Amino acid sequence: MMTISHKSMEEIRIKARELLEKKDADGVLALRRGEEAVVAPHVFREPGEIGRLVTEPKWPLAKTAMRILQSSPRDFRLAVVVRGCDDRALVELAKRNQVTEENIRFIGLACTEEQAGRCLCERPYPRTIHGGKPQPGVHFLQDERVSSLLEGDPAERMARWAAILRRCIKCYGCRNACPICVCVPCKLEDDVWVEKGSIPAEMLVFHLIRAFHLSDACVACGACQEACPVSIPVMALQFAMRQALKDRYGYEPGLDGARKSPVLKNFLEEPETGKDYPAWITHGGTGHE
Amino acid sequence: MNAEKNKQGLQGGEKKGKAGAPSPKILVFACRWCGGIGAGRAGWKRMDLPVSFRVIPVECAALVEPDAIFRALASGIDGVAVLGCHIGGCRYNEANHAALKRLELVKVLLDTAGIGGRRLLLAFGTAHEDHQFAEVIRNFHEFIGKEPSLKPWLGAGEDIFLRREE
Repeated sequence: MMTISHKSMEEIRIKARELLEKKDADGVLALRRGEEAVVAPHVFREPGEIGRLVTEPKWPLAKTAMRILQSSPRDFRLAVVVRGCDDRALVELAKRNQVTEENIRFIGLACTEEQAGRCLCERPYPRTIHGGKPQPGVHFLQDERVSSLLEGDPAERMARWAAILRRCIKCYGCRNACPICVCVPCKLEDDVWVEKGSIPAEMLVFHLIRAFHLSDACVACGACQEACPVSIPVMALQFAMRQALKDRYGYEPGLDGARKSPVLKNFLEEPETGKDYPAWITHGGTGHE
Repeated sequence: MNAEKNKQGLQGGEKKGKAGAPSPKILVFACRWCGGIGAGRAGWKRMDLPVSFRVIPVECAALVEPDAIFRALASGIDGVAVLGCHIGGCRYNEANHAALKRLELVKVLLDTAGIGGRRLLLAFGTAHEDHQFAEVIRNFHEFIGKEPSLKPWLGAGEDIFLRREE
C-alpha cells in the first residue's frame, strides 16, 4: 500500500515539475513536507523545490486555492494538486464566480480505496487523473456510521439528532472549513436567523439552514465533519439530499461546470425523471388556465 | 359544531390551550395571486376552517426562503404550508417550479433530521379554489394535531456549560 501512494506521489511530482518547467503555471499549490516533518500547503514556484512535495495526508485545498487566486493578479495561473473532492469543489466555486477555471491547472490525484472508505466518497477521483488509479466509490448507506444515523422512525431519528447536535459548541468550524461556503454576509451570523450568544446552536436554524444552503452544492468532501471539534457527523445531513438530486434530476454537484443546479430551473429545462406533469406544461410560457 | 370551535378560537387561544389539548400552530405562506386570494375568499365565504393557522401573504411562492421555514419551525410553529399558483400558472416565469423543486428538497432534509417532511405542506391552487384551500388546511390541521410537539427537541436547549457544572 505504501508503494502505491509513493508511486502516485512520484507521478504528481513529475507533472508538477513539468508544468513549472514549461511555464504552464506560475505556481503549484500542494502540500510541502517542511522542517520537523511538518506538512502544510505551499505554493511551489521553482521546479527545484518539487522534491519536497507530498500528497498525504488528505488536505482539502480548494478553498486555499480560491483565496490565493483571489488575492493574486488576474493572469496568475495556479496549478493545484486536486483530489476528487477538491476538483468538484473548484468547479462549484467557478459556477459561483469565485474562481475562473482558465486560471487553474488541475493535477489530479486519485485516492486509495482505503481513503475512499474512510471519507465515504462515492467518486474518489478527479476528472483527469495524473497520479494513482481510480478506485470504486462507497455508497453512504453501505457504511454503518451513516446508516445507523438515518434508520428508525422519525421520532427516534429526531431524538438521536437532537442528542448529537446538542454537543455543538457553535464554533462555525463546519462553515469555515466548507469549500463552498463563501457567502458574505453569512446568514448564520445574522441575529434574524440564528440567535446570538446561545450555545448549543439551535438544531433547526443553525444546522438545517447550513445544511440546506449546501443542498445542491455539497461535494461530499467531508471537510465539515473533519473540522468539527465535537465530532458531529454533519455530512450525514447532506447524503439524502444529494441522493434525491441524483435520483430526480441525474445531477451531481461539481461534475459539469456548464450545468447549473436543477433547483434553479423550471421543469421544462430540468425535468424531473419518473414524474408526469400535465401536457400543457410543455408548451411553456405562462399558460394561465 | 364547527361554529362552536371557531367561537372558542376567537375567545383566545390561551384559554383554549389550558382547557383542552393545545391547538397546533400552522403558518401559511400564500402567494398573492392565487393562494392568498383563495384563503381570503374562504374566510369571506365563512367556510369551515380550523383556527390554528395564520396567513402571511407573499408575492410568489418562490420568495419563501427555506430558511424561513426552518425559522418558523424553530420558533414553535408545528407545521408550515406554502401555497402557490398551479404549476404552469405562475405569474413570474415559472418561478413556482423552482419553488416546488427547492421545497421538496427541504422535505428530504426534514425527513433526514427526523422532523418529518410532512410538516411542510406544498399546495398549488388558483384564486377561485377557496374550497380547496379550506380542505387542505382542515386536513393539514388534523395531521399536525396528531404529530408530537417539536418543543422538547428545539430551541437553544439547556445550556451545556451549566449542565456540566451540576
